[in-house]
Order: sequence, then structure tokens, then C-alpha cells
Amino acid sequence: MLRASLREVSAALKEGHVSPTELCQRCLALIKSTKFLNAYITVVEETALKQAEESEKRYRTGQPLGVLDGIPVAVKDNFSTAGIETTCASEMLKGYIPPYSATVVQKLLDQGAVLLGKTNLDEFAMGSGSTDGVFGPVRNPWSYSRQYKEKLVPKSHPEDEDSNWVITGGSSGGSAAAVSSFTCFAALGSDTGGSTRNPAAHCGVVGLKPTYGLISRHGLIPLVNSMDVPGILTRCVDDAAVVLGSLAGHDPKDSTTVQDSFKPFELPNLTDVSKLSIGIPKEYHAPGLSSEILALWSKAADLFKNAGANVIEVSLPHTRYSIVCYHVLCTAEVASNMARFDGLEYGHRSDMNKSTESMYAATRREGFNDVVRGRILSGNYFLLKQNYENYFVKAQKVRRLIANDFMKVFRSGVDILLTPTTLSDAVPYTEFIKEDNRTRSAQDDILTQAVNMAGLPAISVPTALSERGLPVGLQFIGRSFQEKQLLTVAKWFEKQVKFPMIELEEVKRHDHGVFQHQKSASFS
Amino acid sequence: MAAAARGCGGVWCRVWQCGAGGSAPRGQCSVAGSARSAAVPAGKSGLAPWVPVVGLEIHAQISSNSKLFSGSQVQFAAPPNSVVSFFDASLPGTLPVINRRCVEAAVMTGLALNCSINKRSLFDRKHYFYADLPAGYQITQQRVPIAVNGTLSYSLCTDNKMSQMVTKTVRIKQIQLEQDSGKSLHDDTRSQTLVDLNRAGVGLMEVVMEPDMCCGEEAAAAVRELQLILQTLGSSHAVMAEGQLRVDANVSVHHPGEPYGVRTEVKNINSIRFLAKAVDHEIQRQIEELENGGTVLNETRAFDSKLGCTVPMRDKEGKQDYRFMPEPNLPPLILYDTKSLPANMNHQQVVNIDWIHERLPDLPSVKRAKLVEQYGILPEHSFTLLNEDGLTEFFENVVKHTQMKPKKVIGWILNDLLSYLNQHSLTVKESPVSSSILADLLNLLERKEISSTAAKQVLVELWKGEGKTPLEIVKEKKLELIQDQEALEQICQAVIDGQENEVIMMVEGSLCSTAVCGTKKGVKMVFFFSPVDWHLSCRASIGAVKLLLSDYQPFLLLSYFTKCFCRN
Amino acid sequence: MRVLSVSRWLRGAVRAPSGGPGSPQVPQPGRREREVTVDVLDHLEHLALVDFRDSEGVERLQKAIQFADQLHEVNTDGVEPMDSVLEDRCLYLREDDVTEGNCTKELLKNAKEKVEEYFVAPPGNIPLPKLEE
Repeated sequence: MLRASLREVSAALKEGHVSPTELCQRCLALIKSTKFLNAYITVVEETALKQAEESEKRYRTGQPLGVLDGIPVAVKDNFSTAGIETTCASEMLKGYIPPYSATVVQKLLDQGAVLLGKTNLDEFAMGSGSTDGVFGPVRNPWSYSRQYKEKLVPKSHPEDEDSNWVITGGSSGGSAAAVSSFTCFAALGSDTGGSTRNPAAHCGVVGLKPTYGLISRHGLIPLVNSMDVPGILTRCVDDAAVVLGSLAGHDPKDSTTVQDSFKPFELPNLTDVSKLSIGIPKEYHAPGLSSEILALWSKAADLFKNAGANVIEVSLPHTRYSIVCYHVLCTAEVASNMARFDGLEYGHRSDMNKSTESMYAATRREGFNDVVRGRILSGNYFLLKQNYENYFVKAQKVRRLIANDFMKVFRSGVDILLTPTTLSDAVPYTEFIKEDNRTRSAQDDILTQAVNMAGLPAISVPTALSERGLPVGLQFIGRSFQEKQLLTVAKWFEKQVKFPMIELEEVKRHDHGVFQHQKSASFS
Repeated sequence: MAAAARGCGGVWCRVWQCGAGGSAPRGQCSVAGSARSAAVPAGKSGLAPWVPVVGLEIHAQISSNSKLFSGSQVQFAAPPNSVVSFFDASLPGTLPVINRRCVEAAVMTGLALNCSINKRSLFDRKHYFYADLPAGYQITQQRVPIAVNGTLSYSLCTDNKMSQMVTKTVRIKQIQLEQDSGKSLHDDTRSQTLVDLNRAGVGLMEVVMEPDMCCGEEAAAAVRELQLILQTLGSSHAVMAEGQLRVDANVSVHHPGEPYGVRTEVKNINSIRFLAKAVDHEIQRQIEELENGGTVLNETRAFDSKLGCTVPMRDKEGKQDYRFMPEPNLPPLILYDTKSLPANMNHQQVVNIDWIHERLPDLPSVKRAKLVEQYGILPEHSFTLLNEDGLTEFFENVVKHTQMKPKKVIGWILNDLLSYLNQHSLTVKESPVSSSILADLLNLLERKEISSTAAKQVLVELWKGEGKTPLEIVKEKKLELIQDQEALEQICQAVIDGQENEVIMMVEGSLCSTAVCGTKKGVKMVFFFSPVDWHLSCRASIGAVKLLLSDYQPFLLLSYFTKCFCRN
Repeated sequence: MRVLSVSRWLRGAVRAPSGGPGSPQVPQPGRREREVTVDVLDHLEHLALVDFRDSEGVERLQKAIQFADQLHEVNTDGVEPMDSVLEDRCLYLREDDVTEGNCTKELLKNAKEKVEEYFVAPPGNIPLPKLEE
């Protein structure tokens, strides 16, 4: 049951095969037994069960609110949730209980979704491993899968067994792990430079980054206001479309949502891809791209070609500058966005009391980790009067060039771009922490970051398992506000590759499901 | 140089000189060409004159129900932190949403100040840390403000009698929309600062006036005119005492022909009167400093109204860099005019500059001109009328209800009513004498039922606000004009028979006081002619008798008294 | 075969030149090295109210600047800076209604220190001590 897709379980709820409370209880129990994953920061058992009960009442009277009614979901801990602690995995906001909920959270709740808890992340969403938060790193559920374990070279010392676990990627690692380990049917993440797509690829789930301006950011604690979007993590593409449908649309509380009307859609079952033009950007063959992924990428391209699509090589010449550009713009915005954390109105407050300034400085030293403070400092540097033109404005110009690259390609008739999502499969934690956060982020974001610059929609679809038995995802990038086309193509691809389900001991124990996914020949 | 010339209309309205003693007397107001020749004081050769340069940054709180970027209320003196939204308190995740009314207020103001309205304007963040700035930055318009390049005309009187007014203009550099900050209350006894965010986020229009002014008086007059304009438009109540209008002055001095001097910023000015003082003091201070070999620092100074001078504000630890950055949560603000307005646009999302322009009310300068034309009053009268809140309406009401000519009514308004109000610190609205009552009184006068002196006496009674009508008071105090010829003669005789040493007879003139003095056998007689009634009072002990006689019978009276005195 | 041809040009595709993003930085010859002095760091710390009062801080910042310097390799003549992808959209206008506020209790709940209904800050803005070498 827990391994079913959102739509499947929704149908089951409707038909009464399972009740919302039962579903909720099972998920909560699974969360408990997968605690070692450290995917959740806060689990709200009581309120979740209450919500499940309300949902049950509605189902009993035959008046469910919609597809999402009774569906357990999780939300990344940088979304404000009224009455529920929202920490951003930082000392600065430990104990902070927002008096309001983010629009997207409220929308989910209004449709009857059952909020299980808040998921773990890198502090303030800065990072690509979900390892740099104050609650510790998130472990990739695949570290404990049969598929991964059987590929492991047996260690000489048994104590080292536990050190093999791999990261989830980030910064929405908790949400990805939650969906991947079946503790919820959908989760919200955020995506600023790839923070939803990256962990989705590493955890073998679908990660959708919608077009900037489609979904409200009201209540999403910002990293880079001009690039952040709420991200959607689900088990399959159809599910992502459902969640998108319930979240998208103009929000008067967010002036950066577009005022165009949005109509939720159902994805058609595409059979004929011959009218499609798939672009393969050559610059995405980036340094450090593993040969494995390269092979998968070209195989995917062939897949489309063999099915009759027009697959062509394209060029996005400024791709390699997107990380530098992001570095300047991101740190500048971070410097600005973090200025509000001074301990006066909310959050951590230092005991230092000599003057306002010393209190602020101490609060910020105590509340922020090194990564955050480092970015604040750099960002302020780039915003100094003497540096503004040379760095910030320059980066803004490069941003336009990057966005123009995409525009040119889409104008030339390409419908969808196909690229890898990550450079490699998930690395073990012990290896990951050898490099510092900025270097890591710079490396890992190369394939996802430019999309945020241009504000385009993109989705990572689990494609196959690597040689180490870990998931690899591929990314599709679409035109602005053309999510329907993007998801339709992604759905077709998903059907072709038949990505295998994760085989987790814990889940097997919890799940006496009516629904079992068939494990058929996989793509690799 | 051109700017300095422009600021004073090509003429220095004041030439500042330092007296020998160090404590400088104020500069003398000179006009036109004589300025230059009067520049160098005798005996102090080598002391070149100074040209003061004054620019202003004015923050006007927008009159609106809710704040600029959030839906909390704009309310003065509300209980602490009671009109604060999550956004105002900078709770993470909250976003700004702009208030349409604030945009309209800024457009109105820009149009009234002859500005070009930018159809596409942008918002920026200005960063600094302060307890009353919860987000650590203020949202303002630094790169492309909503309005630019305007002018403001204002008038100054060149002498104390308000009889000669000269018009000046100051260029408006720009008008920008921005957020107000909260308030911090310093509690030094307990070594803490209390923060109230009620004011945080209220919409402000910052009006930047170029340094075209050259003294406190000009600055004050310019601000006064701006205040009137804002109040006429309704875009701001602009009451300085309530913090709805705040003025910072930028002051520098230089010698003619040389580049501008270092400027200081003067803050904490709470009234227009203090503005003039603060500016003039700062100019003086800078001149003294420079003439004594010192330098002027580029600093911020506060005006201390008790001491009457400017003092340096707490040093802001070296250079301040606001690190301006575009506000990413606000797309460009787009305004339309009739030409550029696309069809099928949601009206609620449109601010149409032309539509606003068509509906602008008459600005003060227009109102004044109309008053002068319509009522035949003097320009300086029109200034006073507009300067006093509600006075114009009062005046027009009286005129409507009386037969007395407006030119005469204005005297009663400006001399009697206004001086009484000022003496008792009352506003026009608080006047115990309403316009209809005054009209009644003036009608009595106009119909020659009473004399003007009697009218003034009635007015004194009316100020008491006891609810009596003018007529009632007249009857009560027996102030009616005596029309009966015989009664008149009898009274005169009675006086003369009293054999007083001094007989002062006053008959007031209608147009002016004409004193006719003469002596006849040691008796001084003073005649004033006026169409007012007369009042008789005897003060036997002093021996002075006042007789007020109507001018209906001037010749009769003259002849009568001539007869009398000839007898004597 | 078609299948192979696609993968061939993927494999043989032009690789990004070395020294691109992610690889260790080497200052370009002839480029003036931007020195991060103690003064600059001090200035920044005062403006940002975060500290990195050690050599690590200087080094971090230096690296960040060097990294950012790569931007200058790109020719941006005639290119307008991009504030946001929504630059062609127009700002949504809200009606002038009072819809928020009146939540003093809720706001003060999250404040660690308060006095009656005020937020409380320590006295004034006393400048931080200067950073020593």
C-alpha cells in the first residue's frame, strides 16, 4: 500500500479499501522505524491523525475534497507552517513557530492532505547534500536497499558497515528521502539551483521544478528570491501533475506569481513522439560527468530517436558561467535576506546585551553556520558600492545571456531539452564531506543551476540504477509555463524506462499492501 | 555658479557676512544689484561673501488606510505593535504587495509638482541595521523612482509688512515611494530600547528638492507650500507635529565662483519654524567654522530646538554603504496613460496618469489667484487665507452671507478674527465665532446700525462664546447708532456744558482716519470721520469726553461745535 | 547505426575548458589580484554584522572573489542586466483595505525578550570594536 502511487492510493481511499487514519498510522509507524534516515525534523503525529480523522469523515459521507484528501504528505522545513516549528535546520530558527502557513501548505491542507511533518535540509537550503543542517545529515534510503547492499564490496572491519551510507543530495534531501522510503506520497521541497531535482535523482523519485512565477512562494523562507520555487517530489510523473494542479496559480500575497489563470491538467498518454524535437545541449557534458551517466544519457537520446522524435544537438554556450553567476547573485541575495535575523522579533537571540549592534552580531554568529555566514560576507562584498557594477551587475548581465541561450534554442523549434541531472550517483557521506560546501555545490549544481537562472520548468525522472545499485535520474527542461508538455514527455519516458522500486526491509515489514508494483526489466 | 544664481533668482536674497565679534549678527537682506556692492563690509577687507546652498529631503507620510506593502492599518498613536502585520515584523517568508492608493498618491503629487511620471519604475533594497528596521533593509526606489524633474513655486515676502512678495522656484529632483520605519523609544534609565513597529511599513513619498535655496526662510516657505499642496491633494495630511512630514536639510556654503562646499545633513526638525532656524544656524556655524580656519565635516547633525543650534549626531562608525540591490519580490511598477492603456485590462490593475491628472483639485497657487480675482483681495491676503487651515472657507462663507464688500470683510478676517485665534492658539475650526455670526455682525455694520468701534466691542463679547447673537449684544450694551438729530444735539450740549477741559470728538472716517486737530481756548478737538454709530461715554474725573458722531451730519456737527466753541 | 552516432557525438563532445567552474582557481596572469585587507573585512563585518574574525575568513572571502572574477571572461557589451525573469510583467496592485494587523500577541509570542507590548533592544547603536590584525 505504502509503495503505491498517490493516485492509486487516492483511488483506494475513495473505494474504501483503506482508510485515511489507517494510512496515516502506517506512515507514522514507518517514519519511526526509518528514523535512522533522519529525513524528518518534526513529526506532528497528533495533528496528522486529527486531519486523517477529518478526512475519514468526509470519505464516509461521500464528500472528499479531491484527489489529495487523506493523502499523507511532508513539507521541507523551510516552509512556514502555522503552529508547527519551522527551523530551516538552523540554530537561528530553532523553536520558531510561525503564526501563519505558506500558501502552498495551506492549499494542500485545504484539499484535505494530511501533513505528517517537516523534513530535513541543508541549513537555510544552502548546500547540495542535505548534510549541513543542525539536525545532522539525511541518509539516502537507497543506502539500505537490497540493490545497493548487494553491490557493496564487503568491508574488512564490520564497524565500517555503517559508513557506507550515501547522501541524498540536496538541499531538499529530507523530502526526497521521505518520498523514497514510502513514508509519504508527496513532499514539498524548494529549488533554487537544483535543490529538488538533485536529491530526486539521487533518491530515485520524481522531482519537479515548476516555472518561476507559477507557484506561490509566500511562506517559503527565501534563499534567492529571484530564483526560488517550491519543488514537488513524488513517486511518478502523474502524481507530480496532480500536486502541481493543486498548487499552481496566482497568489495575491506573492507579487512574483503571474496573474495568468492556470488550469490543472491531466496528462495524456503519449504514444507518438514523432512530432517532438528533443535538444541535447552539448555543454551539459560537463567535466566530472561519470561515464555511466553519460552512457545513460545517450541511451535516453537514442530511445527518443528510435521512437521517431527529432533529436538534435544544441548549444547553450554560457552554461559554464552559470555557477559563477549564481555564486554572485545568490550570495548577494542571501546577504540581504538574512539581514532580518537579528533576534529581536523572533528566532535565536544572544544574551549579549551591551548594544544593539553587539547583540545582533552575537546572535548571528551563534545562529548561523559557517556556510551561511560565509555567503553573507561574500554577498555583502559584491554589493559594496565599489564592487556593485563589476560583480553584481555583471552577473545580472551574464544571467541574461544564459536565459537568452535557452530562448534561442526553444525558438529554433526544440520542444524539450534532455540532460543529466547529476554528475554521478550518490556518493558516500564520508567522501562528500571531504570537500567544503561551496565547492561541492558549485560542482553538483552545474547541470541544474542554469534552469533557475532562466526560470524554466524542469523535471528529474528516475532512469536506471548505477553500477553501485544507486538511482540515476535524467532531466527534462521545458519552455516557460509549458508544464503540461514537459510532464507529458517525462511521463512517456518514465513508462519506457520502468525504473525499479526500491527494496527496503523496513518497508516490506510495514507494508502488507494490496498494491505491489511489478518489477520488470529495468532500463539499465 | 548657475545653480547659486538660480536659487536666488539671479540675486542673493541674503548676503552673509560675519561680524567682527565672532558672534555673528544675521546677514542683511539685500535686493538685486546692490547685493554685490554691499558684500564686503568696510574694514574687513579680504572677507569674501558666502553663498549658502540649501537642499531638502522631505518625507511625507501617505494618507491611506493601509500600509505601502501590507494590509495593516495606518493609524497614529495606536497601542504599541497593534497595527503590525507579519510582513511588517519581517517574519521570514512574507512578501511585499503594493497598495494601489499609495501609487496614486505619488502620481498625484508628482503631477502637482510638474514632474515627469516614470511609467515604469523599480524598487530597491537599502540595507542598514537598526532596531526599528526589522528586515535589515528598507524598500525604496533608488534607481528609477516614480516621478522626476519637477518644480515647486513658492513665495516669500521681501519685507516684514507682507506687502511685497517675490516668487521663487525650486527644482524637484525626484519623488520616490518607500517604507517608513518603526519607532524606537530609548529608555536610558533601564538601558534598553523599546521598539514599536506600528509605523513600520507605512507608505512615504520622499520628495527631493535640489539645492536651489539659500536660507532658512526660503526652505521654510518651500516646505510650507509643499505642505499646502499635499493637503490640497489629500495625498498626505502633512502635519509635522504628528510626524507626517519630516524634513532633512542639506546645507553647505561656498564663495562665489568656487565649487560647492562640503555639506552637512541636518535632521530632527519638528516644525517649519525650526526648519528656518536650523538652516540659518547651520549656515552661520559653517561660515564661522571656515572663517576660523576649520573645516566642515560631511556629517549628520541634529537640530536641538532648546539650544537653537545643530549638534553632531552619534557617529555612524565610519562609512555607511547601503548596498542597494533590486528588490526581487516586486516586478516593475507599470503606470498607464490613455494612449498606452491596453484594451481589456482589469481596471483594478490600472493606474491611469491622465485620469488622475484630469481630477487634480485646484492647487494652492491656483486657489490664491482665484481668490484675488474673485474677491479683489491682495495677493498677500490670499497667502494668509490659504495658510490657515479652514480660513478660506470661513472667509468665503462670510462673504456669501453679508452685503459687505469682500475687500472690507478680509480686514475683519485677517485682523480681528485671525489675531484673536492666534492669541488664544485656536484653529479656525475651534473659533467660538462662526462665519454666520460674523456675517450677521458685519451686516449690522454695513447697514450702519452700529459703528465699527461698536462692532469691535460686540466681537469681544462674541468671543466669550456665550451663544448670544450680535443683535442681542448690541441691544444689551446699547450700542445702536443714534439717528435722532435732537438727541444728538442734547448729548453734545450735555458734554459741553460739563465744561470739560478737553473735548475729544471722534467721528470716524469711512475710508481712512482723518484727524482734524484744532484748539480753541485750550480745548483740543480731534475729529475722525466714519459711517459708524456713535457711543457716548463720560469720564468726568479725567475730563475727557468722547463723542462719536455719525458722518451723516458732519457739517451740522462742525457748524454746531463751531457755534459752541465760539460761545465759549 | 543511428543509435551509435548520437552517443558518439555525446562522448566526443567538446569538453568545457579546464579552469572552468568547479576546478581549483588559479589567478589569471595579468589580472590585478583583489586584495582582501583587514580593513575591507572589518568594513564588511560592520555592515553585515557577521564575523569571521580569523585568517580563515579572509581566505574564504578571497576565494569567493577569485571565483567570481571568472565573470569578467564573459563579454557582456550591450547586454542589459536582468533583475528577474519577470521583468516584462507588471506589479500586482492591492486595494487599500485593512486586512491585517491586530495580532500583537502572536507577534510577541516569538520574541525572546519583550517589555509589555514592545520588542526590546539593548541601548543604541554602539559601534563594534575594530578588528585587530
